[in-house]
Amino acid sequence: MSQAAAPSAPYMGQRPSKPRRGRPTAAAVVVLAAITVWAGLGVGVDLAAIGRNWQNAVVNTTQLLQPDYAFFPKTIPALLETLNMAVIATFIGSLLSVPLAFLASRATNPNAPLLGAVRFGMNLIRSVPDILYAAILVAVVGVGALSGIMALVLFNVGIIVKLVSEALDAEDLGAQEAALAAGATWTGANRSAMLPQILPSLASQVLYTFEINIRASTVIGLVGAGGLGILIDNVRSFFRYHELSLIILEILVMVLVLEALSSALRKRLV
Amino acid sequence: MERTGADIRFENATVTYPNGHAGLKGITLDIPAGQMVGVVGLSGAGKSTLVRTINGLVPLSAGSIAVGGHTLTGRGGTQLRGRELRELRSNVGMVFQSFNLAKRTTVINNVLMGRLYHSPAWRTLLGAWKNDDVELAMRALERVEIVGKAYEPAASLSGGQQQRVAIARALAQRPQVILADEPVASLDPPTSHVVMRDLARINAELGITVVVNLHFLDLARTYSERLIGMRAGEIVFDGTGAEADEAVFESIYGRSLTAEDVLEARAEL
Amino acid sequence: MSVETATSKPAPAAPPGPGRLHQRPARPAHWGRKALWLLVSLIVVAAFWSVKIKWSALADFGPQLVKYLGLMFGPPDWSKFGEAFSAVVLSVQMAWIGTVLGILISFPLSFLAARGLAPRAVNWPLRVLFAVIRAVPEVVIAILILSVTGLTPFTGALALAVGSVGTLGKWGYESFEGVDPGPKEAVRSTGGGTLALIRWGIWPSAAPEVLSFWLYRFEINVRASAILGLIGAGGIGKMLTDNVQFRNWDAVGMLLLVVIVVTMIIDQLSGAVRNRLVNGSWRPPRSRGRNRPRR
Ligand SMILES: Nc1ncnc2c1ncn2[C@@H]1O[C@H](COP(=O)(O)OP(=O)(O)O)[C@@H](O)[C@H]1O
Ligand SMILES: [Mg+2]
Repeated sequence: MSQAAAPSAPYMGQRPSKPRRGRPTAAAVVVLAAITVWAGLGVGVDLAAIGRNWQNAVVNTTQLLQPDYAFFPKTIPALLETLNMAVIATFIGSLLSVPLAFLASRATNPNAPLLGAVRFGMNLIRSVPDILYAAILVAVVGVGALSGIMALVLFNVGIIVKLVSEALDAEDLGAQEAALAAGATWTGANRSAMLPQILPSLASQVLYTFEINIRASTVIGLVGAGGLGILIDNVRSFFRYHELSLIILEILVMVLVLEALSSALRKRLV
Repeated sequence: MERTGADIRFENATVTYPNGHAGLKGITLDIPAGQMVGVVGLSGAGKSTLVRTINGLVPLSAGSIAVGGHTLTGRGGTQLRGRELRELRSNVGMVFQSFNLAKRTTVINNVLMGRLYHSPAWRTLLGAWKNDDVELAMRALERVEIVGKAYEPAASLSGGQQQRVAIARALAQRPQVILADEPVASLDPPTSHVVMRDLARINAELGITVVVNLHFLDLARTYSERLIGMRAGEIVFDGTGAEADEAVFESIYGRSLTAEDVLEARAEL
Repeated sequence: MSVETATSKPAPAAPPGPGRLHQRPARPAHWGRKALWLLVSLIVVAAFWSVKIKWSALADFGPQLVKYLGLMFGPPDWSKFGEAFSAVVLSVQMAWIGTVLGILISFPLSFLAARGLAPRAVNWPLRVLFAVIRAVPEVVIAILILSVTGLTPFTGALALAVGSVGTLGKWGYESFEGVDPGPKEAVRSTGGGTLALIRWGIWPSAAPEVLSFWLYRFEINVRASAILGLIGAGGIGKMLTDNVQFRNWDAVGMLLLVVIVVTMIIDQLSGAVRNRLVNGSWRPPRSRGRNRPRR
């Protein structure tokens, strides 16, 4: 260590040449710009359209600012269904995720082939968008909340397992080692030494998932999986913007209230 | 009700780490039941490797170690696995340098980890401990004089208190052997003495065999009846504290004694 | 090695005499915790009780699932591979443009929303804006801007851009505010203005995290873009509805396969780059705790 602290004099006295970090950065910028141009062409970026049709936006916005409150009673069942779906999906999703997270973490699963299989399965589940799950499940179990809940559960398991297993990976393994040294099984050591350590981050993940579910369950109804989404589909097909506006307002209030609640809870947990 | 200690017998115990490094070079050693042994040596001498082989945390490459009625063997032999290995481990308590507590849960839950071997899986998963186990854990906490903190989170305790909780966790196993791997290296000098006294008292009162790794020679001399010096994976001294003179010291540490090696000197700094 | 690094408070030299530490404490009742659990259980029970679901549909879920998996993958319609691939590519393009536009818009805004970099009167409206955007699903945003840009992929990209502003804006200002104060003070003490502060005091520390958020949001947008096809913005969602409508399950299977493969590749690439940015290595960091016990 003392050698490193006292480098030979000529080295410190010489001006080093500027490290050439510029070249990779420039290359990265060129690649990113190329991707952006390619994507822009594919998507058909048309900023002129905004200039042509901005009046439409004004008309819409004025309609949006006048929600049709008389529509409220008709939205109540869908609103409740959205809430129910979110609660049930969060509950089932969390229950399934806890054991899976332990199986998906290097820190808690000593069985390498099983670990690899679980991780691959989780990546697979996470790679399918929730709306695809919803569309397929609607065909399998029929239109309604059940397919929506199942889609949300799959979606939730993907998120929770990833985040919680990462929390496990980062956790200190001392207590687990002590439990194993006392003759515990891996399950016993993980349950009593690792679970308490990640409980706060698990709880915070569950709350976060609940928030996401409220948002997601308003959407998956578009393919018939229950909740506010079905209403959104109806009102937009008939351009009833006053009613759409009320629905947006409801989502907004629901999500903001929940976000405030859960961020208050999360502050207490962590 | 309490059990007595077990003897530990190393036969040509050898550890070669996967990277080819020789951790233990054919150690043969006999520790009779109820003895308190201090292991000293430079960092990297193989002290941790030595104690970690006793409960199978580090597997042997060759040779064998008999602990009570169980025998750990190297790759050639029939290695202990599964339930048998866990049974051996349940008879051997371990205390670590960095306490290794689950800091976010309560003290009592940490001590109850010492009962995991004896608890059926469903009780473990639900956290529904047997009353007898809770009683055992409470008594272990009483023995290290910290039972008042039973329901507090481990994180809220000071370092010395955490190490005493870790000792209680080992005691809750009702072990025949306690291994301690530099148990006071993270503690200040006065607290070090409290923890060492606890270990010595447990050895004297319960007759549990205690093997403790120590960096500081004076602590080892004070608290253990037998001193083992290690260097480069081999035993270079085996005797009483009184026999460990300056020459012996040089053979263990490869240089003469400095203030760095003595706890009291550091305490005065 | 010991005294300096000890994390402990100094403990008394001798064990304390008879006192609190020697008495067994009563088991705490934790009324608050129990009440919380009760509340959560009640909410869950109420949700199960009030939701209108034909649970009997679950009875033949297994056989039904096998049947549909068979229809989709046994075998998938390989002739639709080109179409599926184009659809997925279009969705990815939408996600990319949406992310790029979202970054361009949110980047300056998140500085203005950070405390200490702009007046409170500017911070708060922006934070409210971010929160409102985060509350509205992208598909609703798309419906709103439909009348301006028409039923095109560009509409989808714009909707994703607006949605990204909500999250990127929030993550941005949180990360700027969380920057270590040391470098900030150093810049301030040399008399630098706010721009100098941002460039030299904040950006160097926040950059890895912020860049990794951008990538993460791209991963989210790749998934979100699927939804936008449902209202006609093209891509995955469009091909999905077109084929589900006519029950062309083998085409859906093909689409699903392409979606899975492309998304997993994007996730792996983006995950590796994020690790590189944050930890300096392409692979995720290893677990803490040195002496791993073996079985
Ligand atoms: N898991 C391991 N893999 C490879 N080498 C190791 C491992 N653990 C310890 N060693 C090496 O074995 C030697 C003895 O280590 P250790 O028993 O920890 O010594 P001590 O506890 O006396 O400091 C050291 O040189 C150390 O680098
Ligand atoms: Mg050691």
